[in-house]
Amino acid sequence: MIPKFVEQRQIEEINGTIQISSIFEINGKSLAILTDIENSKTILSDMPLSLGEHVSLLLKEQTNIGVQTDLDIGSKVEGYGVFIFPYGPVSSGIPEAGGFKLITYGERIVKLIPQINFKKRGIERRVIGMKPEDALLLVERSAGNFSSSYSTCFITAVENILGLEIASSAKWIRAVAIELERIYNHLHVFGRLGEAASQNVATAQVNALKERVLRINAKYYGHRYLFGFNKIGGVNYGPFTTDERKGLVSAIKVIAKEFSNIVAFFLSSRIFLDRLQETAKLPKQDALNLGAVGPSARGSGIDMDDRLMYPIEPYNDIFIGIETDKEGDTMARTMVRIQEIASSTVILEQLLDRMPSDNINKPQLSSSNSSSSLPCNSDKDFSFCRIESPSGDLIHVVQLDAITGRIKFLHIRPPSLVNWLPLSKSLEGNVFTDFQFAFESFGLSYADSDR
Amino acid sequence: MIKSWFIHGIRNGILTTKYPKTLPTTDEIPIKSIPPFGSKDSDWLKGKQICPTNAIEDQEKNVDFGKCIFCRRCSDTGFDFEDQNEMRNIALQAEGLLNIENRDKMHEDFKKKIMTFRKSLHILMIDVGSCNACNLEVLNLSNPYYDLTRLGIFFTNSPKHADVLVVVGALNYAMVEVLKRTYESMPNPKIVISIGACSISGGIFQDTESFVSPIHDVIPVDVTVPGCPPTPIQILEGLLLSMGKNNKQQTAEEKHNPPD
Ligand code: SF4
Ligand code: SF4
Repeated sequence: MIPKFVEQRQIEEINGTIQISSIFEINGKSLAILTDIENSKTILSDMPLSLGEHVSLLLKEQTNIGVQTDLDIGSKVEGYGVFIFPYGPVSSGIPEAGGFKLITYGERIVKLIPQINFKKRGIERRVIGMKPEDALLLVERSAGNFSSSYSTCFITAVENILGLEIASSAKWIRAVAIELERIYNHLHVFGRLGEAASQNVATAQVNALKERVLRINAKYYGHRYLFGFNKIGGVNYGPFTTDERKGLVSAIKVIAKEFSNIVAFFLSSRIFLDRLQETAKLPKQDALNLGAVGPSARGSGIDMDDRLMYPIEPYNDIFIGIETDKEGDTMARTMVRIQEIASSTVILEQLLDRMPSDNINKPQLSSSNSSSSLPCNSDKDFSFCRIESPSGDLIHVVQLDAITGRIKFLHIRPPSLVNWLPLSKSLEGNVFTDFQFAFESFGLSYADSDR
Repeated sequence: MIKSWFIHGIRNGILTTKYPKTLPTTDEIPIKSIPPFGSKDSDWLKGKQICPTNAIEDQEKNVDFGKCIFCRRCSDTGFDFEDQNEMRNIALQAEGLLNIENRDKMHEDFKKKIMTFRKSLHILMIDVGSCNACNLEVLNLSNPYYDLTRLGIFFTNSPKHADVLVVVGALNYAMVEVLKRTYESMPNPKIVISIGACSISGGIFQDTESFVSPIHDVIPVDVTVPGCPPTPIQILEGLLLSMGKNNKQQTAEEKHNPPD
């Protein structure tokens, strides 16, 4: 049985590691974006037959607005001593409108039912009929802390349809924004973990570092959360001068260095390690079955990263080291994030060092399909894009009206949506007080999954 | 261990902002967080057509900051910044008393209320449909750069302990009841601060299916902090206003009947 809300599943019949990443219906046809994890490939295909009957169910999952949804799959839990602990939507642990039903038996969590859609805004339906540049404002405000991933993903898809070949330097500047976003989100997650472990002094230091990255964002991209730096056919900021680039690299390097010092403090604290190690274990097979993405998948030893699976420029050009950890516990996910801050710093350095110097805001109509190494549909009616956001694989499918150029269809597959079930799976059998650590380590955002 | 944290802290120096003693710096309020404010000869009608949230009201250079999402589209059509300090002052205008109808009465109430909170303030944040950026900015207030506790402001986790309800996000149908009940379970006197374009007017989400109404149609709002998202300093301004600590602040009367 394919759960209604899970779009990403392993299809055992095809090959152990091919997952359905996204399913959508376009022009009356069901299509799927598949992920070949072993070979790091993205495949656009017709609906695999073996899934046929479930798909209609899946596609019918309409945006039910104004009603919260329980992501309840699997068997019911009942019995003497089992009781439901409701958590949210206004709570101290989660600073967002979203909740959980924690089904507990004594100290242990038997089952965790995430409740989402408290703040479903229905962006996908709202943008229909809008001009892409107006829709962009909504799309980048779907999830504020993943905004540059969202805007880049959306814009790349639109540019693919329009056949715009934009300047390389603009693409590199977008990549810089995505890496900055990754760094501050990882710092945020780490800060939240520290706070949950009551390491207040150290947490304050991490939060100060995060604030510094936000200020760098504001300095170079005009906005602390990177809203509005992207536009169709280019970017609004940049190209940075040599001095600016050097300044950016050195500032981020200092931050990464200070962070590694702070991490050393954390890792020498027995209290902190105790709370993280062996907490909320997600074995590799479960992660595959439930379709975890991003640092949560990499923490369980799955080697998947959109920067390799769907390498838009400049990610096809620079070296990317993928950090994985086999353990699958909260510590592993945290370690992945810690290492990714370091690796993002290296990526940023490469990006800013080797940034091409073409005319940044001069898009050309591409005559030949230059980036044909990426899978796309032949008739260019619609297009999709995948971006590795801080919490994992983000997919946008966009279709434009051929005559008016307005949005005809938008499908967003946010990373947080598919990570809810791995989270609830990982918490089964853990004690109540581990909840905060597990939740923070997955780095999920309700705004993202509710879009 | 404790000693090394001490040294670490000394080495970093003082990070905390001087605000509210001095005006905030460009680092603290970047240019995109300052409301668009037109020069004399700007072409407003053009701006009106491209404004995504209908924030530009008329030719009289009125921008409804509560609707503005600071997208800076209209700055192409003639908004410019001359005096940086003046601009920063403008950026710091948390607006008191949104409900126009019984404004005078509310203003009296508000004055009384803020006397109670002069020394300390406990705030509770509630999200009713935001994009998470506003939430993060409110949480950022507790980092060493802003350091809320130096001003006697504390986060609390329960509505029963809260003096101030900080509302972020565009009110969603699923959250109406929750918002009302949270408000009702707070003890009197209580202040509601509505933060970000979303909660003040719906902002960019004002035409989505799930958007109910601005917050002030559901619960009485005392202070609004425009922005998308407002920077921590701007949120701090709103909080200080609710503590009566902000003398620079125009009163609501002056705001609505500006002296010529
Ligand atoms: S929303 Fe954008 S266009 Fe409208 S007033 Fe604000 S900055 Fe200008
Ligand atoms: S006001 Fe802007 S930043 Fe705040 S929740 Fe709304 S869209 Fe997000």
